[in-house]
Amino acid sequence: MDALNLALELILMPLVAFVVGLFMVLMMRKIAARIQRRVGPPLLQPLYDIIKLYGKQTQISHGLVHDIGIVMAVGGYVAAETLLPVPGMDGLADRGGLITLAYLMMIPSLGLALGVGQCANPNGSIGIARALTAMLAYDIPFVIVIFGVAWHYGTTNLADIIALQQAAGPGGWGAATMPLLALAGLFSVHAMLGKQPFEIYVAPAEIATGPMVEMGGKFLGGLFVMQTFQFYTAGVLYASLFLGGGENWLTFLVKAFAVVAIPMCIAFLFPRYRTEDLLKMIWKWPVLLGLAGLWLIMH
Amino acid sequence: MTLLDLLLLLSLATGALAWLLGRWSGAGVLAALLYAGQLALLGAMDGSAAASPTFQVLGQTIAWSLDPFGRFFALITLGAAIASAWFMAGEWGRRYTQAGHSLRALHGALAINVLAMLLLLASTDLVSLFIGWELVSWAGFLLMAQGGAAAVRAALRYVTYAMGGAMAVLGGTVLAYAWTGTLDLGLLAERLPALEPGRLWLLVALFTGGFGVKMGLLPFHLWQAPAYAEAPGPGTAFLGAISSRMGLFAIALVLARLVTLEGLDGLQILPGQFGVRDLLAWVAAFTIVLPTFTALKQNDARYLLAWHGIGQGGYMLMGLVVGDAMGSAGGLMHVFNHATYQAALFLSVYAVIHRTGTADLNRLGGLVVRMPLSFLTMLVGIIGLAGLPPMNGFVSKWLIYRSLMTEGMPLLFVASVIGTLGTILSVYKLIHNTFLGQLRSEHEHIREAPWSMTGPMLALCAIVFVTGTAPGLVLGWVADAQAALGLPVLRYTLGGVASAKGGLDMLWIVGVLFGGFGVGALLFYGGGGRSRRVHQLDNYAGGHFLSADVRYQYSDNFYAGLMHRIGPLYRNAFTWLESALVSAVDLAALAMQGVYRQQAPAFLLLMTAVAGLAWVVL
Repeated sequence: MDALNLALELILMPLVAFVVGLFMVLMMRKIAARIQRRVGPPLLQPLYDIIKLYGKQTQISHGLVHDIGIVMAVGGYVAAETLLPVPGMDGLADRGGLITLAYLMMIPSLGLALGVGQCANPNGSIGIARALTAMLAYDIPFVIVIFGVAWHYGTTNLADIIALQQAAGPGGWGAATMPLLALAGLFSVHAMLGKQPFEIYVAPAEIATGPMVEMGGKFLGGLFVMQTFQFYTAGVLYASLFLGGGENWLTFLVKAFAVVAIPMCIAFLFPRYRTEDLLKMIWKWPVLLGLAGLWLIMH
Repeated sequence: MTLLDLLLLLSLATGALAWLLGRWSGAGVLAALLYAGQLALLGAMDGSAAASPTFQVLGQTIAWSLDPFGRFFALITLGAAIASAWFMAGEWGRRYTQAGHSLRALHGALAINVLAMLLLLASTDLVSLFIGWELVSWAGFLLMAQGGAAAVRAALRYVTYAMGGAMAVLGGTVLAYAWTGTLDLGLLAERLPALEPGRLWLLVALFTGGFGVKMGLLPFHLWQAPAYAEAPGPGTAFLGAISSRMGLFAIALVLARLVTLEGLDGLQILPGQFGVRDLLAWVAAFTIVLPTFTALKQNDARYLLAWHGIGQGGYMLMGLVVGDAMGSAGGLMHVFNHATYQAALFLSVYAVIHRTGTADLNRLGGLVVRMPLSFLTMLVGIIGLAGLPPMNGFVSKWLIYRSLMTEGMPLLFVASVIGTLGTILSVYKLIHNTFLGQLRSEHEHIREAPWSMTGPMLALCAIVFVTGTAPGLVLGWVADAQAALGLPVLRYTLGGVASAKGGLDMLWIVGVLFGGFGVGALLFYGGGGRSRRVHQLDNYAGGHFLSADVRYQYSDNFYAGLMHRIGPLYRNAFTWLESALVSAVDLAALAMQGVYRQQAPAFLLLMTAVAGLAWVVL
């Protein structure tokens, strides 16, 4: 029975992530539209986009590694979702923990990097060089945050971290007990999502100069799917670390959407940082905040 | 005749046969088989295996015996030797001979290295340790110096460092004997922790500094990258896999077994705040971060990997000095893991050199379509080196991160992760510039490396993957080594570590990861239209279609944005320090030369006058 339950969880958790992630993408577009005084896309537009991209007649592959890159980009996140507890389902949270989750979240980036590299387009490679540099930037405050939370709750098991927060009530949530770390975490989530002002490596406005340059059809569709997972993972992880996770599905979804909404509301007001300014910005403020937060909780 | 006698004799015989039969075409296979035989003997040992020959020095018995800690390192040594010998058994060796090099000298040097390492690993007292240490140092020189003029220069630089280190070790040995009256490691373990702190400080400094030279600990790391990178192919793989870990072996022996962690805790700089263990952990942290970012700058694949080898040593020392069960297990396991993926990486780089003639990252690219197996090897290797799941490098680093979390060491944790992130950047550059991107027209018709070379590469890949999925296979040996060192022993499972505060089960993690890849593949290949494979030149950049005669591979100054930010930090402080030291020694030598040879009468008169004055005044 236990094994059956676990198998069911392992199938359901990525599915939930995908569906929720689709709505997060929709929310992002709606927010952008409202800020720019547009109506924005209809409810199922993200799904239509994926179907459209998969259904395209012209599908250009630059070789096996190009394909595998997309498979890794999606697969890495599918695996990561099983380590991220949702209400009623812990999945493999106790067999991996926070550190493993953080490292699994790097696999899609590596997959994307491999796929883009195989395309042999110099613009793609430049985009990846920038993307990996950005990863070096935002992962430093991110691991400071992870260390702080794990140290504070004395465990790397995400299910336990959530349970401890829920037992203590909203006053015991990470955001209340570790406000500086929560702020640093929000910064790194923002950068991790690759939204303005940290979107130089995605370069969505000028598609021919970023990693996406050779990505069309289902290659782009795969990356779209990856983005839905990425939004979900960032939102849910942050909610689990600082907002007590979800007591039930309603609060879970409210928190996860709220976490993703914050960077989105800020993002569309900003232009873009150059790579070196992005590094300077992230290595200064979130890292300082994170270290100060660490010092506070450890003394 | 004990098992260790047999092992050492077989090792000696391997050396003799490698030298005698080195020109014969089957020599590589024979050598690999002989190393495998030694490995089998190693596997048959259990407990502490002593050797029969002993002799007396200063009334003390000098003897050799291999305990589980030494056996762990011996296992890695012999594994690396098998892979290296196998790699040179076929076409690589023939090409090497045709180019006018001596294959038998290479085989011989490899075998001597293995023998010297086995002797070092089996030492039971300070004298046998020192003998082994010197043999290892000089054997390393033999292997390094065979790669041509640049290699000889690098090897000579190495010898300078190694001699300095050996003098420190000799000084430590003499002082330890003078203060404790024994050379035996067992007795020293009882008497050393009782020494007064000042003396213990000196011993720790002499031994760690001396052995740290071999390990490439900061600031004694400058010699290592060129010395390893310039050695002939499989020699580089062997050196990169295990050679500098002999330093770690000796440091672990002295710190964990002789001085003991409690003894180390007695050595404080700021009492209660900062002790010798913190100091060593910070040395380890700098050894992780600085060489890793130096590696990022390299444009030669061999140098890039060699610099990472220095950086990865930092993780091993870090885990060891944190000292709890998980940390020290992570540090020791990282020795094994690093040896496997580093050897695989070097071999794949040398496979590329074999076919293309260069390791210059600005002169390669797009080779994945021509050399898919070498690409696979490098892919597995870089995932291991970067420490990402599902490869074994992840597990050992996980153990180290986890112990830093448990012990509450945030800055060291962040430093280790920065090292990992820098490694990801650097290894992507390696695989991108070698195997991805544009295939140069002169590489249009090259073939995959022959089986004699891809065989050991793929075997190493299999080990990297299997021990990443089932780390318990290695953790068993690690736990035995911990017990032999007197460290707290890790309680492990086949999949990793079970812990109430967050464990790791790689069997499940790798399972869901491949499940995820399966889902990704199903979505990709199952859904949507069929993709059409195009030639890589069916491509454009900046609105222009590309053709084979246009070189558009993006490789130089790969991380321009990052270098713009951190570039100014590379001020070559260490090179400056080294040249300052050299100048100081030069000056002193000049002065001595003056005394003895050039202005002897004037100097002697001056010295007599000074001495006379001093006598009158006093």
